[in-house]
Amino acid sequence: MLRYVATRFAIWIPSVLLVMLAVYALAFYGAGDPIKLIFLRAPGDVAYNPQRIEAIRESAGLNKPFIEQFGYYVWNLLQGKFGNSLTSGRSVWALVKAAAPVSFQLALCSIVLTAVVAIPLGMIAALNQNTRTDYAILGSALFLWAIPAYVAGPLLMVALIVLFPGAKVPYGWGGVFDMRILLPLFVLSFQPIALIIRQTRAAVIEVLSEDFVRTARAKGVPEMMVALRHILRPVLTPVVTQLGLIMITIVNGAIFVELVFGLPGLGRLTVQALINSDYPVILAVTLIGSFLVMISNLLVDILYPLLDPRANDSKRSR
Amino acid sequence: MTLVETNPAVGEEDRPVNLWRDAWHRLKRNKLAIFGLGIVVLLAFVAIFGPYLTPHDFLSQDLQARNQAPSLAHLFGTDDLGRDVFSRVVYGTRTAFLVAIVVTAIALLIGTTLGAVAGFFGDPYDRVIMWLTDMTMSVPNLLLVVVINASLKTPIARWMETQYMATLNPFYRETIWIDFFLVFGSMAMISWPPYARLVRAQVLSIRSRPYITAAMALGLSNRIIMMRYVVPNALGPLIVSVSAGLGTAMVLESAFSFLGVGVNPPTPSWGNMISDGLRVWQHHPHLLAAPAAVLGLASVAFSFLGDGLNDALNPRGTK
Amino acid sequence: MTAQDTKERLLDVKGLTVEIDGRRGPAVVVDGIDLHVTKGETLGVVGESGCGKSLTMLSLMRLLPNKIKVTSGSADFDGQDLQKMSARALRKVRGGEIGFVFQDPMTSLNPVMRVGDQICEPLLYHRGMSRQDARKRAVELLRLVGIPGPEERLNAYPHELSGGMRQRVMIAIGLACDPKLLIADEPTTALDVTIQAQIVDLVKQLRSKLGMSVVWITHDLALIAGLADRVVVLYAGTVVEDAPVDALFANPSHPYTRGLLASIPTLSDAPAARLSSIGGTPPEPGRRPPGCPFAPRCPLAMDICRRDVPKLEPISSEGSHRAACFAVQKALKAA
Repeated sequence: MLRYVATRFAIWIPSVLLVMLAVYALAFYGAGDPIKLIFLRAPGDVAYNPQRIEAIRESAGLNKPFIEQFGYYVWNLLQGKFGNSLTSGRSVWALVKAAAPVSFQLALCSIVLTAVVAIPLGMIAALNQNTRTDYAILGSALFLWAIPAYVAGPLLMVALIVLFPGAKVPYGWGGVFDMRILLPLFVLSFQPIALIIRQTRAAVIEVLSEDFVRTARAKGVPEMMVALRHILRPVLTPVVTQLGLIMITIVNGAIFVELVFGLPGLGRLTVQALINSDYPVILAVTLIGSFLVMISNLLVDILYPLLDPRANDSKRSR
Repeated sequence: MTLVETNPAVGEEDRPVNLWRDAWHRLKRNKLAIFGLGIVVLLAFVAIFGPYLTPHDFLSQDLQARNQAPSLAHLFGTDDLGRDVFSRVVYGTRTAFLVAIVVTAIALLIGTTLGAVAGFFGDPYDRVIMWLTDMTMSVPNLLLVVVINASLKTPIARWMETQYMATLNPFYRETIWIDFFLVFGSMAMISWPPYARLVRAQVLSIRSRPYITAAMALGLSNRIIMMRYVVPNALGPLIVSVSAGLGTAMVLESAFSFLGVGVNPPTPSWGNMISDGLRVWQHHPHLLAAPAAVLGLASVAFSFLGDGLNDALNPRGTK
Repeated sequence: MTAQDTKERLLDVKGLTVEIDGRRGPAVVVDGIDLHVTKGETLGVVGESGCGKSLTMLSLMRLLPNKIKVTSGSADFDGQDLQKMSARALRKVRGGEIGFVFQDPMTSLNPVMRVGDQICEPLLYHRGMSRQDARKRAVELLRLVGIPGPEERLNAYPHELSGGMRQRVMIAIGLACDPKLLIADEPTTALDVTIQAQIVDLVKQLRSKLGMSVVWITHDLALIAGLADRVVVLYAGTVVEDAPVDALFANPSHPYTRGLLASIPTLSDAPAARLSSIGGTPPEPGRRPPGCPFAPRCPLAMDICRRDVPKLEPISSEGSHRAACFAVQKALKAA
């Protein structure tokens, strides 16, 4: 088991590096000279003084070849140095450190909410396949999937204020136990919930046609226990493998949800950086987002053999 | 197992089974899918002929009639510059379809090519391409687009500038095209992996069939295998994928416009209209509601259609 | 059958009809079957694939998939109609009084559940045993079906066992609660011949040890010869012949049974002799001919066969050998 985890990890590291390299290269060649970018923002004497620019470039190591700079960047990253924001001049690490807890808590809550809501709903839909219940659940899932967060968010906000005039406007951050988290949490979870409902439903329908479910019934196992022990268990495997995809939808969704509901998280940081073309920040949040997704995928890889005993026997190609 | 085996013939038609006709029959019975198809066809019609149908020009401003509520003259009201929101939404449909179709076409081209190369030539191409695919898919696509977009903007602008200097063709001075190129390019660069995976999987599954191995041993060329076996088999899943992809591309485009990195004003896009509407929704909710509703409708329609197509073309789970 | 042994009937199926909801409307797959199993008897149910053997047995326990339904008929088990029983009572019968052994142990065992837990389940739900007791019993059962090292095997997953082992586990599950009836649905088709023989021997042994009745479904007549007391031959969802095993092999009456027997190769056949086979294919459900379903393939078919459906009637003096064939019945009258 430990060896398996170690190999997974060993395969994982180069992928992370490669993503970093790709993102860094894009920013490096696309954005152009960061020093120029800084001084173009605050035009002064320096911007028109090539010698001084050159001096700063040299001291910052910016005249070195690309790969060396990339190595330097990675080395700094490992020490928690992300560089400085072009707009505020503050260290990117400080910005990220302030914003990340908000996003992480939100993401974690969203994953829990998704699991709690979507897996039972998906099962109910599948067990009532082609009935009204099924269509209602499936239709809602498709609807939730299709409705963008920046449409759902404002509309729900309006609805909430119209329906409950006394309610606190769900704007801003007050921690996980603050009522204001509810609306953004739900909006953020719409897509993951829709995804998992459909995944669970499809997986349950597939399992339902399996012979071993019939065996369980032939043994006289009560329906409830058939659903929990014989259907849910095998269904969890394909559902858990969706974690990476869920992470992507959450990271994507957070950008809009945090913007709409005024949450000081990574998503809002991204938008601000984007508007200001603040490359160090964009680079940092992209890397963090990718890292989250890749960590999720690694987690799935590690969890997989625990969920499916067959996976241990080199039957991983399912 | 036994059950399936005991009655394979039940429900099959007498005439030779035609996949496409069968799929169409299945699709017709799916009300949600037909609803989706209807909306998509309607939107496509609006996208093509819309500009000839709208009562107002999408750019013409009527400062006398700003922020008007919906009325007969202005079905969806007017915005802060007195522009007709209905006409803008209609023109936004055009933007959405243009982006969706171009992006999907580029992504399809990249994806099928890479997928076919990976499937046919195997390692090392396969390994590299699959790595690229996995990587692209493991970066949150919105962030990747943001990076690509931010990176490409300057080079494209510079290139357009030099082209204009060289040719003096006014086309290169049209800054709108920078937006479109950026959107096309960055979105296509994140949209191809599903197609690549799909085509590669099809190629691999076809290649492993004994009769293909035999045919290859006899010297059948890859191109013939591709045209005769891979393409027909991959078409169904690809159609499903494309239908879903078109919807995703539309939502993505509006998302970027919403964030201010997509198609910029004055070109109307649902996303930048929503973004504008968000600022004033307390006073003029129609400015938010109209584009948001149309975008939601389009997205839901594509999603219903894609789902219905999936059920119709891959009928495995429906029996 | 005479009236007195009706009492001994453990399972008595009458007029069981099963329909499948196809795209072109319902199609009959099991057409008013009558069959019974007496106490302590092994009944062989024989027929080609698609003749409705499995569906009949599944429908008894109401285990049919959604689109397949029992439309009429009754199935009395120990005096109670399984078809009318409440779901709760039926659950007690399933696994408790009727054990089931399915065809393919690979797919019929839950791949993500330990073998021991799967054997314990019926014990927990029917006997209300504690976990420890159930595990002890599971070890006993594994030993009973001849699995070496049963204590360790309890913790194995199905994929870690060989095909024969898995089928033994299936049998152990079927036997867990000492059922009165064991229904084995082609339990040996997925296994190779030596294992097949072992499993057959095992079931024979267990039956005499435990005194239960067995219904053994198969398409393999040769296998049934050494196993069953009585054989029912199914064709296209109807019973065409029902006879004690010796009578059936000594004197097969229905042309279909004869065709089946003729297609079994024997050692006395000349090496170059061609295996005989029955021409044509069985009718698809929903497309059966108006008369006898076998008529289109029958060498003895007469006009009446294409018009009317023959009934299962006694053809031996004591009445235990019955066949549904106009030609046989006519020949008998003539004699």
